[in-house]
Formats: sequence, C-alpha cells, structure tokens
Amino acid sequence: MKKLIQVKNVVKTFDKQVVLKGISLDIEENEFVTLLGPSGCGKTTLLRIIAGFLDPDEGHVIMDGEDIAKIPAYQRDVNTVFQHYALFPHLNVYENIAFGLKIKKQPKDIIDQKVRRMISLVGLEGFEQRDVTRLSGGQQQRVAIARALVNEPKVLLLDESLSALDKNLRKEMQLELKQIQKEVGITFIFVTHDQEEALTMSDKIVIMKDGEIEQIGTPTEVYNEPVNEYCARFVGDSNIIDGIMKKDRLVSFDDNDYECVDYGFSENEEVDIMLRPEDINITPRNKGLLNGEVKSVLFKGIHNEVIVETSSGTSKTVIMHVTKSHDIKNEEAHETISAKNFFMDPEDVPTLTSSEVITRANAQAWTDEEEEVSLTKVDFNVKEEEGVYQCTFGTEKGTEITININVVKPAAIEDKENEEVIQAFDFYRDADEIKESVALDTDLILWADAYAWNTEDDSRVEIWDVKYDFDDENITEGDYPVTFSTQGRELKIETTQFIKEGERIGLWWKPEDIHVMRKMR
Amino acid sequence: MEHKTKIHERIYAALILAFFYLPIIYVVFFSFNQSKSLTKFTGFSLQWYEKMFADRMIMSAIGYTVLCAVIATFVSTIVGTVTAIGLSKSKRVLREAVNQVNNLPMLNPDIVTAIGFMLFFTSLKIKTGFVTMVLAHIAFCIPYVILSVMPKLRTLDPNLAEAALDLGCTPMQALWKVIIPQIKPGIVSGALVAFTMSFDDFVISLFTTGPGVSNISIYVYGAVKRVNPTINALSAILVFVITAVLIIVNVVPMIRERRNAKNVNAAELETGVN
Amino acid sequence: MKSFSKMAYPYVVWMCVMIIAPMLMIVFYAFSAKGNDLLAFQFTFENFARFFSDTIFPSVLWRSLKMAFVTTALCILLGYPTAYIFAKMKPNNQAIMILLVTLPMWINVLVRTYAWRGLLGYVDLSSEMRVYVGMIYNFLPFMILEVYTSLSKIDPNLIVASHDLGADDGETFRRVILPLSLPGVVSGITLVFLPAVSSFFIPKLLGGGQYVLIGNLIENYFITSGDWNFGSAISLIMAVIILISMFVMRKMDYSNKEAGD
Repeated sequence: MKKLIQVKNVVKTFDKQVVLKGISLDIEENEFVTLLGPSGCGKTTLLRIIAGFLDPDEGHVIMDGEDIAKIPAYQRDVNTVFQHYALFPHLNVYENIAFGLKIKKQPKDIIDQKVRRMISLVGLEGFEQRDVTRLSGGQQQRVAIARALVNEPKVLLLDESLSALDKNLRKEMQLELKQIQKEVGITFIFVTHDQEEALTMSDKIVIMKDGEIEQIGTPTEVYNEPVNEYCARFVGDSNIIDGIMKKDRLVSFDDNDYECVDYGFSENEEVDIMLRPEDINITPRNKGLLNGEVKSVLFKGIHNEVIVETSSGTSKTVIMHVTKSHDIKNEEAHETISAKNFFMDPEDVPTLTSSEVITRANAQAWTDEEEEVSLTKVDFNVKEEEGVYQCTFGTEKGTEITININVVKPAAIEDKENEEVIQAFDFYRDADEIKESVALDTDLILWADAYAWNTEDDSRVEIWDVKYDFDDENITEGDYPVTFSTQGRELKIETTQFIKEGERIGLWWKPEDIHVMRKMR
Repeated sequence: MEHKTKIHERIYAALILAFFYLPIIYVVFFSFNQSKSLTKFTGFSLQWYEKMFADRMIMSAIGYTVLCAVIATFVSTIVGTVTAIGLSKSKRVLREAVNQVNNLPMLNPDIVTAIGFMLFFTSLKIKTGFVTMVLAHIAFCIPYVILSVMPKLRTLDPNLAEAALDLGCTPMQALWKVIIPQIKPGIVSGALVAFTMSFDDFVISLFTTGPGVSNISIYVYGAVKRVNPTINALSAILVFVITAVLIIVNVVPMIRERRNAKNVNAAELETGVN
Repeated sequence: MKSFSKMAYPYVVWMCVMIIAPMLMIVFYAFSAKGNDLLAFQFTFENFARFFSDTIFPSVLWRSLKMAFVTTALCILLGYPTAYIFAKMKPNNQAIMILLVTLPMWINVLVRTYAWRGLLGYVDLSSEMRVYVGMIYNFLPFMILEVYTSLSKIDPNLIVASHDLGADDGETFRRVILPLSLPGVVSGITLVFLPAVSSFFIPKLLGGGQYVLIGNLIENYFITSGDWNFGSAISLIMAVIILISMFVMRKMDYSNKEAGD
C-alpha cells in the first residue's frame, strides 16, 4: 500500500501551551485510521491541521508527496464531517449536499447525478427537500457524510462524529461508516474518545496522550499488547497491578510469583501488570492461583461483573462504647440536654471550634415538646497535650451538661507495603443515636474520627470499608469493635457464572493472559 | 411563577396600560375635532388633516425625517455588519476597546452626545444642515447595529465557516453564502432599531441640523408654543402608520410559521418518517 | 477567516473621529476661555468657577437630580408591581402585555409628550407635577420591561423549591423572587435616572417654560445664547455626576451578586 499522508514532527502551541509535541504518523491509502484519546490529548488539533483549519508551528504534512502546509483548506483534497455536523441551517438536505459541487461550478446535471448517488449511498431518499434542522441526529449525520463525500476527496476526516448520537444509533452508524468506507474506497481519519468505536471500525488505531502518540497498532494489537498502563486503561476494561519482574517469564505481585510469557525486562524491574477481566476464571477456594472474597456482583446483561478482594487494605479497629443515655433534665425549664465524652488528637486542638465540639460530642437540647433548643453556651479549655479536659454545654434557660474531652495521641496503623496509615479513636454513643442514624457508615467514620492517608505524598486516602458485627436496629449497651479499612487489592472479573457476594473463591488464569508492561515515564 | 392573577392585580395592570394609551387615544380623537379647542370636542371634521397636507413645513419635515432615516439605516446597517464580522475575528483587546467606545453614546445622555457633534462640526467649519444631521444619525446608529449583530455571530457555530472552506469556498464565498445568511435576523433587527432610532430622534437632530432643515420631532418641538391641532393630525397619522407596521411585523411571521408547520406536517405524512 | 479582522479597521477610524473626537471637544471647550475657536485655546477653570459661584446654577442642578431621583423611585414603585403581575400571567397573555407596553414606545417621544399638554389641560396641576407626569409616562415602560425580563428569567422550579422548603408566598417573594429580580431593577434605574437627569424637552413642553432643569440650561447656552464654553462646562459637570452615579450603581449590583454567590 502507498503512503497517502505523512505527518512529520508536527508541533502546535496555543497560548504557550504545547498541544502537539512533535507528532509523526503515516497514513496509507484506503485505510480507516482512528485517533483515540481523552479530550485535550491533541487529536482534534491534529485533525484540524490535516484539514487545513490550523497551521502547524513546526513540521510538515505531506500528501501524495507534496507538502500541503501552504495550501488553504478550500483547495485541499480533504473533506470533514464535523462533530456537530455544521450543516447549513438555511439550506435543505439537497442544497447542503450540492454545496461543494456548486462552489466548484460543476454543470447542473452532473451535480444532480452525484447528489442523487450520495443520497442513496447514505439512505436518505425522500428527504431531499427537508429542512436540515428538522432531521434527527442520525439523519443529520448522514447528510454531513454525504456532503463531504460528494466532493470525492482522497481523505475523509471525521471529528467525534458519532458522539452526539445515542448509544444504539451510534452502534448502527459504526457499522454503516465502515461499510461506506469500504464502498467508496478512500482513507477515513476518525477522531474519537470512545475506545469501543475505535476497536470496531479501525484498521489502525493511534492512541494519543498529552500531544504525543503512545501506541500505533491494529485493534487486536492495542487490545492484547498495550505498551503501557495508559493504553491498557484506555482500550478495554482491565486490572492494572503494580508488580516486579523477577526474571524472564516470572512476575510477582502481592507477595506471590506468577508465570507469564513476557521477557526482555531487567531483573527485578518494577512493572505494570495487566489482567483483562474476561481472562480471569473462578475456581473453588485453594484450587486457583490466589484466593479472594467476592465484594460485589453487578449484573451486566450477558455477564456478571464481579469484584473480588484478594488482599485487604490497611485497617484499624476501635471500640464503640454503647452507654445508657444520661440526659440531664431541667424540670423548671422543661428542657433536656445530652452530650457524650469523646476522644481527640492533640494536633486538632488548635483548630477546634465550638460547632466542632458540639458535633463531636453530639450535644443537643430539646424541650418537653421535642422541639430543639439551641446551645448558647459551649465552655471548653483544651490544651495541646494529652489529658482529660472538661467541657460544659448549656442553653439560654440554664440547662447544662458537662462531659470529658480525652486528648490522646492516636495509635495509628501503618502499612508499609501499601504506604498507607490509618487512624481512628474509640468513642461513646448511646443506643438511640445508633438506631436513629440514617447513614451509619458515614456516622461511624465521623464519630471515630477515622482518617487515612498516603505516607508517600500525604494525600488523603478514602476509608473504603466499615465493618462491624452488631445489629444496629437492636443494639444494647456494651462494647463493640468497629473496623475501618482502606481499599485493598481488588480484581474485576467478567464471568457468566452465578456467584454471591461474600463468597470465598479461588482465581485462576493462563500464563499468557498476564501482560507485563514497562512503567510509564 | 404560578399563572394566576387576582382581580385587583388585573385592574392595576389595566390602569397602568390605560395611562400609556390615554394620550395616544386623546391625540387621535382630537385630530378629528371641528374646532381649535384642545379640551372640547365640537364635532367631526377632517380639516386638520387637510391643513396638515397643505402645510409645506410639515411635509418637508416628514420628507427629511424619512430620507434621513433611510440613509442612516442603509449606511449604518452595512458598516455595522461589516464591523461586527471583523470584530468577531479580531483580537479580544480590540473587540473590548470598540465595545467600550461604542458604549459612550449609548450611556451618555443624548444631549451630551449631541453637543459633542455640534462642537465637532462647527470646529471643523462644516456648515450644519441635512448632511451633518445624517452623519450624526449614522454615528449613533452603528453601535446599535453592532450590538444586535454581535450576539448572532457569537452563537454561530464556528464549524459552519470551516465547513464552507472545507467544501471549497474561498473566505469571501464563505462570508456570502454561509455567514451572512446565518446572521440575517440580527442584521434585520439591527436595521429596524437603526431606522426607529433615526426616525424618532429629536435631541441629536436639534443640535446637528442647520437652518431650514427640520425633522418631525424638531417641527413638533417648535410648533407647540401655539395651539395647533395640525400636530394632532400629524401625530394621529404617525400612530396609524406605526400601528399598521407593528401589526404587519408581528402578525406576518405568525401566519408564515403556521403555514410552514402545515407544510411540514404534510411532508411528514407523505414520507411517513420522523 | 483571520483576514476578516481587517473589516473592523475602517470603523475603528470612524469611531475615533465621530465618537471620541466630539467627546474630547466638549472637554476642550469646557476648559477654554470664551470664544468658540479651536485655535485660540486658553486654558481656564473659569467656566466651572462661574457655575459653582452662582446661586442659581447649583440649585438647578440640585433640582434636576432631585427630580430624576423621585422619578426613578416612582418608576420602581409603579413599575415593579406591574412587571410582577405580568410575569404571573399565562405565557400568551404575558407576550400581549409586553407588546402593549412596547407599542407606545415606537411613537415619537415628542408627539407623546405633546399629547399630554392637551390632556393636562383638563386638570389643574402645578408645573412641577405636570413635569413629573411626563417623566413617568416616558420612563415607566423601561422600568417595567427591565424588571419583567429579570422576573421572567427566574426558573419556576426555584419558587416550587422554596414552597417545598416551607416558605410561604410572602417569604418566597422576599427571599427568592426579590433578590433574583434586583439586577432588572438596577438596569431599570440606569435606564430611567440617566435620561431623566438630562431631560429638557419634557420640562419645556409640560412645565410651561418656568420649570428649568439642567438640560434646559445646556440647551439655552448652546442654541439661544451661544456661550458654548459655559454650556460645555455644564454638560461636563452633568456627565461626571452621571458617571459617578452609574459607578455607584454598578458597585451595588456587583456586591449584590457577590452576596448572592
């Protein structure tokens, strides 16, 4: 096949921001090429440079051996289907399609002939006189394609052309586009952020990121052999795991070694491992390569998407003291007041506010008619060192309660491997508060002041799981353990097997299902 | 809002509207008065209309007003549209600067703008008269045209012009065949605003015209010192013409739309597709 | 497409000549000594000194400001309820009402003001009151239209939400509708106050010549007595006062918006 377009070292900058960082790409005749990447990766800019709407700052675009940099858009043998079609609202379907030919002053009968042929190619017979604003999205799309193709370009550029359509129509149009491309036999360059679109239609996929090309390959190549984590995540669903390449054909993660077919890495090189969800099989416990617990099962129609936890995250267990409610009743004022002792970190003392104290102590007051009374008095004197301090809450009418604030250094739990630390405090609550909670997990995190962070960059880590053993509807006084944990190793699996949440299972895969990739720079 | 109004609210709205229409009805009514009185209606007659059409001053004022409005509208619409298109492709700084300066005559009191023109013309030793009045009208109309064309350009799909280039149009062809047809509603409304601004203008005309050249407003201003029912007739005619124009402007699109809807329905029945 | 930007250049030149130059001319005349010539320029503050040392001129200025202020207040008082009632009508009726308010505005201002001369012949009013009637008649439609526009932009769901959250009609008006319609009131004020300060044909036609406002002063010095330097100074003083009040209004509008955020 012959090279039709050669993009050589193209650089483009907007407002000092480099959008294309030296792109080089060869496009052959009669090829369906897809530029794939998230918004802002430069794919549309590249397309607009090929179309002639933008000039590259550096580099060349060569078409048929000729540098087309100086040729204006209206003289290029290239036509575009725009994202929102850009149909001329003041012209009808026929006039829109005939527009380019009329500009080129072709004879009327030739125009008519060509337009009719295009209309039948895209299946819009009977719509010739229709106002384009009154067409459905799919019909507008067809007009846009016909309007571009009627000019017999060497290349058709499509800019996110299917993104405005709904899902079913999009699938239909994917097939149709591919068919049209085969029929007219010219090169299509298609820009999209939808990996599925790219996989179904393309002969060649170009994956872009931040103005650079990450990988060029056929759909099977980019799906099965992504060059790095970015490409693996972008094309298809995948589990990406940090691992270490022990030696050729042996990779390790989460303290276990696994056979694979990859080689050519240096010894003990840190790598990314890709495992496609559909490649992981479920086996009975201890019969597979590793064990796990089913966290969630999502029904997806033809298969179930199962999340399996194979190793837990960092966790911390605290004691919840469920006490009798010791509300203080003020008979004279017909008011009742309640508050709880609580624990806190000395580090938080300097920023402690009255409203925070009220929240932490869950202090509240109410009248005999159950109407809430605002707390006008919050007296506390807490020092930035460990100890027990008193705090008094009171209402306008003099109803008061005193509690203890225990300032203690938290016993944090650090997980060296995960580079995470989690901390939480024991806390006091009465049974009613637990029963009345509408979002118990969130409340437990708040009450225990549970907090986790990454030791590497001090970023906050979400508390992923709250485990407890009590029945919150019928809780009685006593001490109960509550465990907070961060997210552990979770693998996504696609299976047609029926499986229940909480089930303990084994997992198994073939050595060739593991794909090892170099870490990204 | 709930679409419910109480009876006293409707009465209030009616009173306010009555306040707006009272003087108009009064003028029309007394234009048919037999006597010269402005308070007593003595009988029906068309004599004030006859007198009006015989009055050369009034006729020339009408002539000047229409001529001035037509020229000012024509020039300001073209210049305003061309400028707006230019600005839409210009750097932000220039666009902002032009908008700011254009705001001056719109925010300044008319009288300040007017004396500015007067001082400007006389300082340059240009004799004030019809030409200076038209120049001033063009100057204060252009910002309104730009103001009504700009939003249309801003909401214009930028891909439309590119699509035209893509299909082989030169930039000039793209302008004529795609951009102008798209912003036509803005141009038309800009022209309409320019015409009425010019037609109704009093303050700027008063200061920029010369001896012997009056438009309708200046004539009315000068003539009201005496009791003069021909002005009633002139006013009534203006009311009739403007009401007729407004009815046509508002009703014709409605009828056309209804007819279009009918056609489309028919077409849909024919093809049987959505 | 970039080449189209050149199309704006001719107007930029025109703008400098026909908008900026006349404005500069006013400043030039206001600061030059008597004599209406560009070449014989003599810088002076005399025109301004004359304005403020006299007793009549400041009192006319004060009267104009007071009149504009009262007119604006009355326009809000009369116009806001009208716009509110319009906004509560059925959509079709709203369109008709707005058309009915707009329609008289298309008829020549002079003609409409002239009509009031005859009408006011039936009642016995002081010249001040007659001028007020003319001012309100001329400027009320602007206030109604501005307030109506901002009221009609309010998402009806906000009112439903307010009721849902327990606010009654009065509270909903005070806490939701009124704050959201304030921008309309502000732009209404600029549309009323500004021309009201400088108005000169309304007092002349309805006030019977005895009622002089700052606009009439400017007219007199330009058309009748031909003292353009002093006339320019008066215009400049008026323009500066208007500029300051606009600035204050805008500040208020912004602080309002910030509070709203």
